[in-house]
Amino acid sequence: MRTVRDSRVQTALLVAVGAVLALAAMEAIGRFQLLGRGWPPLSQVLDILHTPATRTLLGRSLRTTADEAGLGLLIGALVSVVVAVLGTVLPVLQAGLDRLAAVLNAVPLIALGPLLIATVGREGSPAVIAALAVGFVMFVSTTSGLEAASTAHRDVLAALGASRTTTLLRLRLPAAVPMVLDGLTQAAPAAVLGAIVGEWFGAPSGLGLLLVSAMQNYQTELLWAAGLAAALLAIVSYAVLGTVRSLMAWRFR
Amino acid sequence: MGKSAPASIPPTDPDTGGGPAGSTEEGTAPDPDADPRTESADAGSPRAALELSGVTKHFPLRRRNTVALDGVDLTVEQGEFVSLLGPSGCGKSTVLRLLAGLEEPTTGRVRVHDRPPAALVNDHRLGIAFQQHALLPWASIADNVALPFRVAGRPVDRARVTELLRLTGLEEFAEARPRQLSGGMRQRAAIARALALNPEVLLLDEPFGSLDAVTRRRLNFELARIWSEQRITTLLVTHDVEEAVLLANRVVVLTGRPGRVRHVEHIDLPRPRGGRLTREPRFHEVVDRLTALLDGDLASRAGADEGATAQTGRRWLRRRGR
Ligand SMILES: Nc1ncnc2c1ncn2[C@@H]1O[C@H](COP(=O)(O)OP(=O)(O)OP(=O)(O)O)[C@@H](O)[C@H]1O
Ligand SMILES: [Mg+2]
Repeated sequence: MRTVRDSRVQTALLVAVGAVLALAAMEAIGRFQLLGRGWPPLSQVLDILHTPATRTLLGRSLRTTADEAGLGLLIGALVSVVVAVLGTVLPVLQAGLDRLAAVLNAVPLIALGPLLIATVGREGSPAVIAALAVGFVMFVSTTSGLEAASTAHRDVLAALGASRTTTLLRLRLPAAVPMVLDGLTQAAPAAVLGAIVGEWFGAPSGLGLLLVSAMQNYQTELLWAAGLAAALLAIVSYAVLGTVRSLMAWRFR
Repeated sequence: MGKSAPASIPPTDPDTGGGPAGSTEEGTAPDPDADPRTESADAGSPRAALELSGVTKHFPLRRRNTVALDGVDLTVEQGEFVSLLGPSGCGKSTVLRLLAGLEEPTTGRVRVHDRPPAALVNDHRLGIAFQQHALLPWASIADNVALPFRVAGRPVDRARVTELLRLTGLEEFAEARPRQLSGGMRQRAAIARALALNPEVLLLDEPFGSLDAVTRRRLNFELARIWSEQRITTLLVTHDVEEAVLLANRVVVLTGRPGRVRHVEHIDLPRPRGGRLTREPRFHEVVDRLTALLDGDLASRAGADEGATAQTGRRWLRRRGR
């Protein structure tokens, strides 16, 4: 118990030290113009937050992107879990589904952007791309999660005369929970990335839009602020789901 | 291991095995059909609840082929309690898995109530406790014991679950998770689960393996009582010779790999068999004879190794058992 806690404290400390060092490096590189004018000092980027208009703009964009990423994560995860379950219930489908998932995963999301704008529209495509970005990892983690139940447990259910459905509900699904949570943790930052890529193609608002417009208007500080906000969102989503996972997964192991 | 494994049955009995009326020596017949004698015939009861005839089981593993069982004939009468003894790896668990429909025999026939094992399983009439407890880690102990009800699609009989928890001394732990229990407590929960639906056939694979001697004896008596009341057809795998004798109508001893029936001992000791019986000479006479039989098997398996005396064999047998 003690050692576990100690090692956790140690990890947290290391993360904190790493973050401070990275921020200090950012500041230093900007201060001394080590990488040209495109890299402002961190303090200068944070300065623009003093302007209320910029603050609301950033806040609103962050909110939009977070909503889209969240929605995409939800849809992508749900669809993948359902498809993965379907694959195990109907083994005939399994091979086909595996291949379909691999092919979908191989298509670069960027290439799908224009296509989605044309079909789903500007408003909807960020969430859809986020869902696609999430889909593969969720499909793979759920599929392997559904196989995670031990042989001893399968034998018990079999000897009790359990049907396929009962085995799925009473054994395979609960046994899959830790891996599904692992998948969600990995998928969350991918959803953020997907949402931003989706916004890139001309969504009405969001961090992706802000990135594009700041870049085109040479608003270096705003560009950096938007980039940092995106990074923050990805990190926070990872941390939140990671916490959920560590709070829940042990129950199912 | 050689391909056709040394069928090392010593030609002569260990001297202790005088052979009183109760015991029948099994000459392992390689061809099951050539052996007309069946156990049920002389026992007089026509209803064999569990039946293995001429069963061999091979486990092909890449290039090696493990012969787990080689020509096993075994019947358990309706309402009978049979203990299965034998050295580690001789195929005892495999016998149970065959009877639970979890494995198919390579050759031979496995019947439960004259039907394939799957039939009883599908009726949810089989109770089984595995060597590993195999409780669901996310469910409470009470829910684990209630699992057979849920699997059978029946409403959970809470009173029955509570009764079983009391029987196995786990009442206070009804809401605990398996991980919060000791190994012995988990085994007891697994036995409670096996009994939940009042099964017709009970298969127990070293169910008391990780219990202390006192708890073990207490549960032995509990099991004896349950059996006397309900006469559930029971096949118990154990390493504990005393336990085997205490509980069974018959003790079947298997040889080491590959498993064959080496000896069948009818236990005619009176019931109920309480603590007093375990101190009586006639009890120890049977136990010693069976132990010697297992020792003899071990000694012959040791083969070239001269150091292996029956004494060390017995100690080795005691130590393993976990
Ligand atoms: N699934 C399997 N695949 C390959 N070999 C197996 C398998 N199950 C059992 N065996 C082999 O069959 C033999 C008998 O195994 P089994 O588990 O029935 O022994 P056992 O008598 O129950 O032993 P123990 O007393 O140690 O539990 C062993 O040699 C084992 O290696
Ligand atoms: Mg075993």
